[in-house]
Amino acid sequence: MSANRLPWAVRFRPRIVADIADNKNAINELRLWLRTWEKGIPERRAVFLHGPPGTGKTSSVHVLAEELGFDLLEINASDYRTRTRMEELIGRATTQNVTIFGKRRLILFDEMEGVSGHEDMGGIAAISDIIKTTRVPVVLIATAIAEDNEEKFRPLRDKAQPIEYKPIPTIDIYTKLERIVRELKLNVTPEALEALAIHSGGDLRSAINDMESIARGKGAVTVEDVEGLGNRDKQEYTPIIIQNIFAAKTLQEARRTINQAYVDHEELFDWIYENLPIVLDDKHDLVEGLEALARADIYAKRVRSSSYRLQKYMFNAMTGGVALSRTRSEGFGLRRQVMTAAAKLGYPQNAFVFQETASGLIVKPVKYMGDSWKQINATFRGLGAVWVRSGNGWAIPYLRPPQLKWRYIRTYHSRRKLQSIAVKVAHKCHVSSNDAVSEIIPLLRLIYRDKAMAETTTTWLELEEDEVDWLRS
Amino acid sequence: MSGGMWAEKYRPKSLDEMVDQTEIVARMKNFVKDRNLPHLLLVGPAGVGKTTSILCLSRDLYGLGYHNYILELNASDERGIDVIREKVKNFARTAAIASEVPFKILILDEADSLTSAAQHALRRTMEIYTRTCRFCLIGNYSENIIDPIQSRCSVFRYSPLPEEGVKKYITSIAEKEKVNLLPEGLDAVYDASTGDLRKAINLLQAAAATQGGEVDDVAIYSVLGKVSPQRVREMINLGIKGEFLEAREILRSLLIDEGLAAEDIIRMVYSELMRMQMPERWKVRISDAVGEVDFRLTQGARAEIQLSTLLAKLALASEEVNERQ
Repeated sequence: MSANRLPWAVRFRPRIVADIADNKNAINELRLWLRTWEKGIPERRAVFLHGPPGTGKTSSVHVLAEELGFDLLEINASDYRTRTRMEELIGRATTQNVTIFGKRRLILFDEMEGVSGHEDMGGIAAISDIIKTTRVPVVLIATAIAEDNEEKFRPLRDKAQPIEYKPIPTIDIYTKLERIVRELKLNVTPEALEALAIHSGGDLRSAINDMESIARGKGAVTVEDVEGLGNRDKQEYTPIIIQNIFAAKTLQEARRTINQAYVDHEELFDWIYENLPIVLDDKHDLVEGLEALARADIYAKRVRSSSYRLQKYMFNAMTGGVALSRTRSEGFGLRRQVMTAAAKLGYPQNAFVFQETASGLIVKPVKYMGDSWKQINATFRGLGAVWVRSGNGWAIPYLRPPQLKWRYIRTYHSRRKLQSIAVKVAHKCHVSSNDAVSEIIPLLRLIYRDKAMAETTTTWLELEEDEVDWLRS
Repeated sequence: MSGGMWAEKYRPKSLDEMVDQTEIVARMKNFVKDRNLPHLLLVGPAGVGKTTSILCLSRDLYGLGYHNYILELNASDERGIDVIREKVKNFARTAAIASEVPFKILILDEADSLTSAAQHALRRTMEIYTRTCRFCLIGNYSENIIDPIQSRCSVFRYSPLPEEGVKKYITSIAEKEKVNLLPEGLDAVYDASTGDLRKAINLLQAAAATQGGEVDDVAIYSVLGKVSPQRVREMINLGIKGEFLEAREILRSLLIDEGLAAEDIIRMVYSELMRMQMPERWKVRISDAVGEVDFRLTQGARAEIQLSTLLAKLALASEEVNERQ
């Protein structure tokens, strides 16, 4: 296959260490450990690379094997079956430390999360035995050690030195994507690149795949394309899951949804948070539900900093805690919201007819609205409404996708400008950049209404043209 | 009217130009005469001359090239003590060559925002580099600085500026910038600034820029209406009324569009709430709720979910306090 037929994630795979986007500490640790083998067999004969997908785990092993002159024997999920199968594959590789060509060997077990407890009978035990006796370095790789996996990998934990890979910072993903854009001469706006980078959540491979899936054929990517991506495969079933959570009567029932959800729990959290005030429209229920969610947020932080064992408390709070705080709510939150929005535009309650359906609210104007339709439509769209021409009304789903992430993406560019201005202001005015943002920049925007003052201030603060535009906007 | 930030343009350049904080200035002048100084801890409210005085001292001490001998850091901008230590190390490593003064000065602003663990680490750093570097820590409250650091520093307590002092300064700037500042305007500037001279000067400049030369109280209030505290008030009122979704919308715009730090929002929320005409029982309850959120933020919780929980509690607390009365 010629290079330009290859998937981009493969074609632009790192070739040397410098190509890998981030996780320098992890890579250095891995290199150091591999080099200890030059002096004989070290105490820990295996390392365990773990971290989210697309953060360079496999790539760094490939690149370092090349750099340090190892012959790599790689075993993937598809190879994990039984003990016998494993022994067949590896054979004498672990006892003979050089190949017949005199190259040193390195064994890599990739996609370890694919080893399931039951099917791959003895798979983990076999790997554990290999580590005990191996005369060549063994590298194990798994994506983030999740709640269920913790137990499974226990036999390996003491024997293998853990090395953690972190999500790639947005700015590094941006830079990598930009390089591909330049090399392939694609037409991708900076905003779209930023959106792709943020959307990936630190997963470089998925960012490249997303960009490829949009740009293949048309050679261009816009923010709207990326926005479409996010909703494409998830929107259909997530609302149902969320509805089930809010409707649950027991902790167990609510808790079960976690495993049914296709989205990860962070996104599930955002969905619940977005819709909670719409469903829990009673003051008391709202406080209780939000407090449960806020507690779940604290547990999420604790899970990251101490142990995955705490994850169950987070799940309980964000599902059961929210579901069981619904005691007095009537679920008219959406209707109330629509009426408030309409009232603000000067329309009384009886200007519309409301109709409840299983998945949302139908709002029909009582009479022809003329030119004011546009204004109302814009307002209702903010609530997630879609105008259905045939029904002569708006359909507004009860549940809507989290607004937060897209809002961050849409304002990313502007917030970056703000930050770069803040750093300059902080430096010149001898304040922290937080103070620059909260105290000085709001006033600076007013000062920029005076043309003469603006001009000298620009020189004094050494602002770039786009930063000036931001202050004027 | 000229450009640049007036607060910087009219910042005194030498200790001789400083009119207030006379005792502190006198002691600092002695340091300059001696060509020596201890570690310093400057505490007091915002905008009363803490940073100005140490900058003046540096300039008087080192002369025109003073910026080669000082390093300004802001604790709230530096992530963790390790960054500070690293920067200090690089800065202090090269002694102050080509100067009669054998040390450099490191100015660490908002030092009282460092955790006590970070302050203990800082204390070691201060000891190690004492020979080549003097530390000048700045903060609002000395209680938030651990004792071992206080005992190693000469502590300077800055008092709030007197009303006439602030007004005189503002008037003189208005004259130099040819702004017609009416007496009501001056009163409004002073009231809004609560004695913070930097804030007062910034307000004057923003009002002058939008009003074109004549500034009265209305001009000042219209500027104030456009800055964040006004929106915070709006958000709180919606919260109290039980309009949670609208209140959350403002919270999002403060956090995302305006890029405010969560700590700043909670600070504004707190001071607005305490200033409101509400039953005292309500204030006590709300203070506790704000405190809990503030604590959770220090523990790394996510700002939006925690702050919106607070907004929901506002309505509930109002209802319950009313029922009890």
